[in-house]
Amino acid sequence: MSALLEVSGVSVSFDGFKAINNLTFSIGAAELRAVIGPNGAGKTTFMDIITGKTRPDDGRVIWGEKSVSLLAMSESRIAQEGIGRKFQRPTIFEDQSVAENLMLALKKPRGPFAVLGFRASRADRDRVAELAEEIGLAAALARKAGELSHGQKQWLEIGMLLAQEPRLLLVDEPAAGMTPAEREHTTELLVEAAKTRAVVVVEHDMEFVRRLGCKVTVLHEGSVLAEGSIDHVTSDEKVIEVYLGR
Amino acid sequence: MSDAALPARRPFVARHPSVLIFLALLGIFTIGVTLLSEAFGIGLVSTSFVKTLGKTLCLCLVALAMDLVWGYCGILSLGHMAFFGIGGYAIGMWLMYARTEIIVVESLASAALPPTPQEVSDAIANQIFGVVGASEFPPIWAVADSLLLQLAAVVLVPGLLALVFGWLAFRSRVTGVYLSILTQAMTLALSLYLFQNDSGLRGNNGLSGLQNLPGLDDVPQSIVSLWFFWASALALGLGYVLCTWVVSGKFGSVIRAIRDDESRVRFLGYPVEAYKLAIFTLTAVIAGIAGALYYPQAGIINPAEIAPIASIYLAVWVAIGGRGRLYGAVIGAAFVSLVSTWFTGGGAPDVNLGFATIQWVDWWTVLLGLSFVLVTLFAPKGIGGLFDLITERRTPERHGADLGPDAGSLREKEAET
Amino acid sequence: MLLAVPGGVASSHAQEARAPIQLLLQEHGEIIAKSSRRTIGPAIDALARSGLPQAQLVLEKWRAKEMWRDKETGLFVFAEEIDRRTIRIFDFADGREIAEVADKGFKQLKPNSGIRGLIGAALVQFQLSDPDPANRATALDAIERDAEPSHLTALRGAIESEGDAGLRARKARLERLLTIRFAEDPAERIAAIEGFSGDLGVDVRAALNPLLARALDVSTSRPSGPDIAAVLEPGSAALSRAEAHALLVDKGLAVPRVTPAQKREALIANIADGQVGGVQLAELDSEAARDLAYAALARAGLAPPSAAPGDIDAALAAHVFFERFVGAPPEVARAAADVLAGIETQVAINQFIDLVLDAVSLGSIYFLAAIGLAITFGVMRVINMAHGEFIMMGAYTGFVVQQIVPDYTLSIILAIPLAFAVTFGAGVALERLVIRWLYHRPLETLLATFGVSIALQQIAKNIFGTQARPLTAPGWLDGSLIVNDIVSISYIRIAIFVLALLFLALFLLVMNRTRLGLEVRAVTQNPRMAASMGINPDRINMLTFGFGSGIAGIAGVAIGLYAKVTSEMGADYIVQSFMTVVVGGVGNIWGTLLGASMVGVLQKGIEWFNPSNTLAAQTYMILFVILFIQFRPRGIIALKGRAAEA
Repeated sequence: MSALLEVSGVSVSFDGFKAINNLTFSIGAAELRAVIGPNGAGKTTFMDIITGKTRPDDGRVIWGEKSVSLLAMSESRIAQEGIGRKFQRPTIFEDQSVAENLMLALKKPRGPFAVLGFRASRADRDRVAELAEEIGLAAALARKAGELSHGQKQWLEIGMLLAQEPRLLLVDEPAAGMTPAEREHTTELLVEAAKTRAVVVVEHDMEFVRRLGCKVTVLHEGSVLAEGSIDHVTSDEKVIEVYLGR
Repeated sequence: MSDAALPARRPFVARHPSVLIFLALLGIFTIGVTLLSEAFGIGLVSTSFVKTLGKTLCLCLVALAMDLVWGYCGILSLGHMAFFGIGGYAIGMWLMYARTEIIVVESLASAALPPTPQEVSDAIANQIFGVVGASEFPPIWAVADSLLLQLAAVVLVPGLLALVFGWLAFRSRVTGVYLSILTQAMTLALSLYLFQNDSGLRGNNGLSGLQNLPGLDDVPQSIVSLWFFWASALALGLGYVLCTWVVSGKFGSVIRAIRDDESRVRFLGYPVEAYKLAIFTLTAVIAGIAGALYYPQAGIINPAEIAPIASIYLAVWVAIGGRGRLYGAVIGAAFVSLVSTWFTGGGAPDVNLGFATIQWVDWWTVLLGLSFVLVTLFAPKGIGGLFDLITERRTPERHGADLGPDAGSLREKEAET
Repeated sequence: MLLAVPGGVASSHAQEARAPIQLLLQEHGEIIAKSSRRTIGPAIDALARSGLPQAQLVLEKWRAKEMWRDKETGLFVFAEEIDRRTIRIFDFADGREIAEVADKGFKQLKPNSGIRGLIGAALVQFQLSDPDPANRATALDAIERDAEPSHLTALRGAIESEGDAGLRARKARLERLLTIRFAEDPAERIAAIEGFSGDLGVDVRAALNPLLARALDVSTSRPSGPDIAAVLEPGSAALSRAEAHALLVDKGLAVPRVTPAQKREALIANIADGQVGGVQLAELDSEAARDLAYAALARAGLAPPSAAPGDIDAALAAHVFFERFVGAPPEVARAAADVLAGIETQVAINQFIDLVLDAVSLGSIYFLAAIGLAITFGVMRVINMAHGEFIMMGAYTGFVVQQIVPDYTLSIILAIPLAFAVTFGAGVALERLVIRWLYHRPLETLLATFGVSIALQQIAKNIFGTQARPLTAPGWLDGSLIVNDIVSISYIRIAIFVLALLFLALFLLVMNRTRLGLEVRAVTQNPRMAASMGINPDRINMLTFGFGSGIAGIAGVAIGLYAKVTSEMGADYIVQSFMTVVVGGVGNIWGTLLGASMVGVLQKGIEWFNPSNTLAAQTYMILFVILFIQFRPRGIIALKGRAAEA
């Protein structure tokens, strides 16, 4: 299976502090991957680099079948290439309705003039309704997003990501602050999503990772410490020392 | 505006009843003023007051532009009165040129020899630039003799300036207060430039006599003022419909999203800079048109009108009227500028405090400044917020403070890892 | 031979008619008596050069209109009037009284002001050796103002005997300058010229420049000879085609080109039967038609012929234009040109130094205006648009203090802490009443403080009026530190520079060395954490804002000394101040310092290109800053990484 995303030898430092140090990582086209690591391991910076928010000092980030470099692209261009990102805290547009939020995310031309002339078709509205069903917000379509509960906001954001139809989904701590039932639902959504696309989950919660049942990459001090199944990495001496054995 | 998706589509005005109400009120107002005017009605409203009302309509239009760029897109521009002024200068150049040309040709007609084109042009230049000690046309007057080209300049010059400036500013991700300061700097640079005598636009004398339409000296000002009043009302109406259309659909959804959380919109794949640039340029063009209608009614334009303080007042009007709602901007501009005219025109009675007398001509600005602080502090929704009380429109519960247009971008910062 | 005193009055002293001075006067008696500006020169010269000790007395009395001439004998005496009819006469030869006589036998000489000027110039040589140093200095001043060839010899004679070192140096320098201007021998002039190589004095340039005077001339062949300064090409920067043609016309070598106005007049003068030169009047609305009509008039001899463009080309091509030295012999002129070129280089270097000093002082003013902002905006990230009005409040505080305390030194010393107190209070009030409620809503803070700014400006206008109020600097700050004729800097600018340095030191001290600074940094970095450590963020924010505002007040006093105090002075500085902070890099005082220097250097640099137009300089400076921000959006000293994103 050829890799969808290949990160090789990437380094970045802030004022002398090496946040990412010669990191190499790759993921296939339909794969679920969990990335774990202690605080300051560089998980968020890693996602920043892929999404174009941070420019690395060194290294390559290669994307897709045509092997294009993501380094020269703007954030919006990268997102249009099919990389979606979910932030740690739910970031949705609270002043707008659930339907508007989903409609914004729907995979459609993004340019200002295309958007100015955009009129939602029947199919678009059906797609929004379908997504809302999937994330359990069908009844809340007309409500302002700001009125939703914390868990609902998380789902709305996941729904927006799905609406983008990305080929790679980067999810930052999706289960934080959720009730057990909500976590269950989130796990299902992610596993389901990973059947058709690549999903990278950054997570703190070992239990949640175990439930995802996928390959795990352990980051430490900006580079990969170990990679493999959850059982494999949890038995790794180094991993136990820096992360689990505390 | 909250029904973007599911219900079947209805006609534009049906989805936006506020447009109908607004257009109806504007129409009634226009007809009312016409019927009360000296030219076509019972003469209850003086010509100078018709001009004041016409100017107010233009200010409402530029406030609408300001609301679009600030209230909806979150860019607190302190440069839109500069675009307004540029529009005024563009049309003023033609008005002044054409009128001077008529006068010059008349005076040269009695000369012994019929004048050559060069002599006519020299005489016009002498008339116009004598005050700044020049007698030749600067290059920027190259097309001043063409109404069509100067009308194009009303739209193109502010548009291009906004395009270039916006492109520079947005691509380097200058946002928030930095952008405000930068636009203020641009405005200051422009007004300082125009203050020079060799700017080619008569330095601090500005352009004058703009109330006289070339070739229409026989038409009394009472009628001309109504023409401009109607044109201003028409422009405001069209502007309102255009702005409503822009902010209603998905485009409006995107720009409000940019206002609340710019980087999130970027991660959704929208080229944020292009949207900001589009809005910045569009509103600059609207401001230019408003200025082109305003200054013939004011009669004179000079660089002081472009100084940064004018743009700050524009922000004040929109804030007092209520940001993020188009009618709020209109109400704010109309209310504050008319009240201002009343106070500074000596309409308000002096207040005797015993030890001192408050003369509103002097103290009105103080009152305005302080009430602006109070509005910002206690009524961020402005006058428009009163409509919420009437319609009891529900506002979402938000975490954190009440959102200003800029608060969103601060709210979402990646959590500290 | 003794002459009887006329008038019959008994003489106590007889006049000596054979005294050398009297003989000299008699020799020139006629022109002296005639007293005409045009012819008097030789007489004065003869007196001045005579070397007679009495010559100075004669000249002085003559100038003072106290010289009389005996109508009968033609002898000259000087006299004082006793009453309307009687004078007391004295002998020039020994200064002794001759007699009291009736004035009707004598004619008073009344030289007009032109002659008095000539006499004055001649007197200079005597004054140069006057025992009183003040008189000698006055004489030198007079020569510097209005030198004459005769002064050269006088000066040369007066150097050796000069006892005062300062005057001696002045005399020596003046002698060299006069040598350049008036010496006969070219070699001597060249030596003097080369002696001034590298001298920056304005007087040197004033002496050298006239030597380089050139006259434009024309001939049909290429000229040669040592006095040819340059051959000029018509149409070049040094010689326009119009100038070249005008010269040919002046010399009668070419036909003039009739100007449109002359053409017009000629046409009007020849209107007949609704047409001119065969062209209908109505058709004369283009230059081409007028040319045609005029040509017809010229052919008919009714108007002078006009040169066609082709004629002008031919005339210009047929002649060579050149300049010759006319100010001095060519070798002298060339030497002067060489030395002057060297001096110009020196001047340029010194002007550059002067410009840098100017830029530094302007930068200090911007730094002063911006340093308060560096605290409120840079450290606290609170944008205060009323900052400029705090500067204004400080300046008005200074003004009010000067109204009460008339001593300027004392009043400034009082004003500085008072201005700090006033604006500190205003800052604290603003923070408590407004800004506190708007933390984390920067745009709203910006708006609210705009409101405050508008109100404060108008209040100041209502209280103090719209006219500018003076804030007078103490006497010891008047004047300038003068390095040479080009480089000088006023003491007030030095004081502002020193004040800026003091503020920088104060800022660094407070932020890095005090408990307050530590707490400020803690609160700005993480207010919640700081609060849990027992720091009261409210109190810290209030004090920091007050501190920043207070510094603005002191800056106001300083700026008020340098510029006028008006209600709009704050608004004049606010944009530049924000630019300074933003350009330098927000949150870093060194960045603010660099930003202020850059803005100052830029503005002065642009002014240097276009000295007459400070408005344009400001315009271009702002445009440059806007462009600069494109390339360094976070300023010169950028905070990198995560800290920058907060």
